[in-house]
Amino acid sequence: MAREYDHLFKLLIIGDSGVGKSSLLLRFSDNTFSGTYITTIGVDFKIRTVDVNGDKVKLQIWDTAGQERFRTITSTYYRGTHGVIVVYDVTSGESFANVKRWLHEIDQNCDVVNRILVGNKDDDPDRKVVLTQDAQRFAEQMGIQLYETSAKENLNVEEMFLAITKLVLETKKEQQRKAAEQPPDTIRLSRNHGKGKVKKTKCC
Amino acid sequence: MNLCEIVQARLAPDEKCLVCIDGVDGSKLAVSLAIVERRGDRALFIFNNQRVPPVRGSDLSLQKVYPVDLDLKCLAAHEHNISIQSGKDNLKFDIPRNPSTHDFFVQLKLAKDLYSQSAGFGLPASFSWLDKYRDQLSKESNSNPFANDIFDPLGYMKINESGPKKTAASKSKSLILPKSGSNNSLNSLTVSRERSPHRKKSPSRTKVKSTIAKSASKESLDDLDSNSEIVETLGEIQKQFGLAVGVPPKENFKPGTARDTLIEYFLHDRESEFTDIQHLSVFCGTWNVNGKLPPDSILEWLSVDTEPPDIYVIGFQELDLSNQAYIFSDSQKEVVWQEKVEECLHPKGRYREVKLIRLVGVMLLVYIKEEYYSHVRHADCDMVATGILGVMGNKGGVSVRIQIHNTSICFVNCHLAAHQDEIERRNQDYRDIEFKLRFKQFLPPLTIREHDIVFWIGDMNYRISDLDINEIKDLIAASRYKELVMFDQLTKQLGKTDVFRGYSEQAIKFQPTYKYDTGTDDWDTSEKCRTPAWCDRVLYKGRGIEPKVYRFHPVLKISDHKPVSSLFKVEIKVVDPKRCKKVYEDVNKMLDRLENDYLPQVELDHREFFFGEVKFIESQQKDLTVMNTGQVPVTYEFINKLDDRNFSKPWLKVGPNKSVIVPGNKVVISMEVYIDKNNVGDLNSGKDTLSDILVLHLHGGKDFFISFLFLLLNDVSTVYGTYVPSSFGCSVEALVQMHGPIREVPVATLLDLEQPGSLSKVDVAATGGRLYSVPKEIWRMVDHIWRYGRHQDDLFQQPGLDMEVQQIRDCLDTGSPDLLPGSIHSVAEALLLFLESLPEPVIPFPFYQSCLECVNNYLLCKQIILKIPECHRNLFHYLISFFRELLSNAEHNNLSIKSLASMVGEIILRAPPSMSSNASRQLRKSEDLKRAAFVYHFLTSEDYDE
Repeated sequence: MAREYDHLFKLLIIGDSGVGKSSLLLRFSDNTFSGTYITTIGVDFKIRTVDVNGDKVKLQIWDTAGQERFRTITSTYYRGTHGVIVVYDVTSGESFANVKRWLHEIDQNCDVVNRILVGNKDDDPDRKVVLTQDAQRFAEQMGIQLYETSAKENLNVEEMFLAITKLVLETKKEQQRKAAEQPPDTIRLSRNHGKGKVKKTKCC
Repeated sequence: MNLCEIVQARLAPDEKCLVCIDGVDGSKLAVSLAIVERRGDRALFIFNNQRVPPVRGSDLSLQKVYPVDLDLKCLAAHEHNISIQSGKDNLKFDIPRNPSTHDFFVQLKLAKDLYSQSAGFGLPASFSWLDKYRDQLSKESNSNPFANDIFDPLGYMKINESGPKKTAASKSKSLILPKSGSNNSLNSLTVSRERSPHRKKSPSRTKVKSTIAKSASKESLDDLDSNSEIVETLGEIQKQFGLAVGVPPKENFKPGTARDTLIEYFLHDRESEFTDIQHLSVFCGTWNVNGKLPPDSILEWLSVDTEPPDIYVIGFQELDLSNQAYIFSDSQKEVVWQEKVEECLHPKGRYREVKLIRLVGVMLLVYIKEEYYSHVRHADCDMVATGILGVMGNKGGVSVRIQIHNTSICFVNCHLAAHQDEIERRNQDYRDIEFKLRFKQFLPPLTIREHDIVFWIGDMNYRISDLDINEIKDLIAASRYKELVMFDQLTKQLGKTDVFRGYSEQAIKFQPTYKYDTGTDDWDTSEKCRTPAWCDRVLYKGRGIEPKVYRFHPVLKISDHKPVSSLFKVEIKVVDPKRCKKVYEDVNKMLDRLENDYLPQVELDHREFFFGEVKFIESQQKDLTVMNTGQVPVTYEFINKLDDRNFSKPWLKVGPNKSVIVPGNKVVISMEVYIDKNNVGDLNSGKDTLSDILVLHLHGGKDFFISFLFLLLNDVSTVYGTYVPSSFGCSVEALVQMHGPIREVPVATLLDLEQPGSLSKVDVAATGGRLYSVPKEIWRMVDHIWRYGRHQDDLFQQPGLDMEVQQIRDCLDTGSPDLLPGSIHSVAEALLLFLESLPEPVIPFPFYQSCLECVNNYLLCKQIILKIPECHRNLFHYLISFFRELLSNAEHNNLSIKSLASMVGEIILRAPPSMSSNASRQLRKSEDLKRAAFVYHFLTSEDYDE
């Protein structure tokens, strides 16, 4: 069967209001940036097809409203997500402090999911308040990768999205491998036949 | 007048409309397709119908005129869906299924057959009579060259998902589509694209976009997988109609998705960005060996250049003249000649055979230098016999095709009909080879003309005519070939007719290669004394071919022909994987962007709604305008959030909550806040608050959150937003404890009072024994009616005024003025509304069922009343007494006991919310009667006393 893609993944971008979630998405999907700030009131998505080592991966990337009052509603959109991008603003200590809450939000709403931490607006050293080493230490503690990006200057955006895509793809392949390794029942049966040698039976 | 006659009115007297059918074109405009004949030549006319159905000739506006020639193809993707291709045009039409459609196909097939026949006789139709229509057409038709070709995406998007058949009919012309339209059109687009990989700019951007749009919708994924099936049926139908020789794709055909097809298209379009040009030298040699065995060496033919060519293309004619050659596929001569060739290939190069193909005496050998061999792909060959009876192999053509890197090359070797005067037979042989040859490795099979580069060599047998043989020989002797070539039959027609259209030949600067006395350089001295001719030729076609040399090799004298050879430098496109990947990514990004562009987009004029003071039964309404700013119709819908059962709170009415908006249009959604008797209780008790967030969902797209906020007005309303609490909707329990008007009660106290069981906790003594036996608000209304309205005509039977009811509400809630405003009827209505708004009715819900069960027994009814909580019982008796008093004044107020009983029953005996919803109408009716009966006892009984 001809298909348009080998894998379809749903990614979710979360984080405080104003950290640049929509900008990151727009940079990745349309390669554009708008300086004017428009609050996302609701959830929006864009698609992007990428090639990861020969696998055609179609990404459906959901951008959520960061405002507090929408938090309960946006939690609905975590369902079926393969990867979550948690964004903070490197010029806002508060947004970084809230990352923990967002990670907690993921734990509450998702079962198995890949996560990545993103410090956006990393384009003006004078305004940067969340130091890379602090963020890095925190990311290591939480066992997630950190990317510092700038949607405005198009720094690291593509790399970050590709990184989370790779994580999700690896997780999927790992799961498939595990499923394949699980010995099918037929092996036990063949052992009963007393051949001694266990032939690998192909599972259909 | 039928369609044919209407078209006839547009034609010249010597032209005749044979058949005409109506249809719908790609942009959903009504068209008429007519086949018109003039002196045996037939053409296809396409008109736009200015009036449907057309009545006179002027109702038709000419859109296109196509001569029915070999270029014109009619593909039936479906019985009611055809696509017409001619040159760069590719038009699609939906046509009805009826007998005239059948006639149309029959006529079209006939016309094509007639054309190929006449072309076969060398009388290709000129179709100059169409010129006048073409002129007309440029004036009449739209300036947009693709106007007819637009594949309107609107109708195809999301049709399945939103299913708006009704909208389709009413909202926009572009939406009026047959349901199956999306599949067919898409596939015919895909197919047509595949069929013309070389056509650089053919599909308009709109078409390309629309395919993306289509593929953007999820359902399309499944549709696309059926491509192969469609291709099959296409072929089947073509066979049935005997139409259109399928033009195959360049590569091995593999059904892909629309996206794959588009990627291929754009990659091809940008090929130059990721390919490098590599030059290969091609040696083309042709020799009619007159059935002879090879001489000791043919190095003089094949290896005269200092540098070895990269590719050898060697053609022989009359290789084997034996009778066995016609019957057996093996030929001894083939082997010896091949050995000789391989022996005499350029000694400086190492070659590998690519293909050998032989049709009787016509043999083609292709060799390539070893270093390039691994880059050769899809090598294939085919042959066409054009000899005796058109089937024998004494004449005909053989061909080999290869692909090197990204360039496809086709080599043809032919032996065309002989004899001085048989020029038309030669032309026809050429046509047969050109159109019948198929490389069947490909599906559908590939033709000669679908190659980047073609080399056509062979003994074409074209002669020098209209010149005396001695003059010819004199010109040859003087080496005045330039003058002599003017009399060459091939040169005369090359570039001027359909014969070898598009092919070129290098200037001939050598003497004719035919006919010599064998073993000599002398012209034919036999009886026939044939005129010298350039029978043996090398033609080429395609881009990036640089001819180097064109010569004959008189040293080789074994045959009556001299061998000819020609050298070329050709451009081979070599893909740079890195740049190719880059372009591939670019193309993908662009397609993604298009796909994103085709996601539903709307703009809302409000994301937040602020309402001021909201009061019981006072409606406030605001509008939300949703504008479709995207490129596709949008279906919006308010969806439930989280685990809510409704998409909005009960006091919020939204309409329409689901609709379809076509691009550029807008819909105004009304948002009404209205607190009625059903939801006031929850707001009073704090179970519900006046705030909400709605989720506006676009099908296949994003969600918007729309917030409802209520301005904080004063300190009273910190919890309730600006809902102004009302005694309406308060519980009896709370009301009897409430001192003073409700607006003066602090919110916290109100909430406390509304706590279940608050009454039992009240220490009556501590509050100074102030506990109302009935709610004061009810008392005020009852008292008012008793005082001023017991004689009122039609009491409780006329409706009040909304405005007055609201004033009465304010009066009760604020305590002023002392006298209730409004008419008696309004007060009566307010009283009923008040009772209806009680969260727990006068006879509380738990007693409802038992009340209905004992309506036949007054005694039992009385016993139930004894069981209900005291404050409710007091209220019940108070109301019954009041209504009994009113009935005693029935001569004035016209109250009928029956209607009063059913009215009161409905209000004081309310079914619990859990029950009321699922009762059938019949059940409800019987419940109504029982409720009335229950009240009736109390209203009429002689022994009633409190």
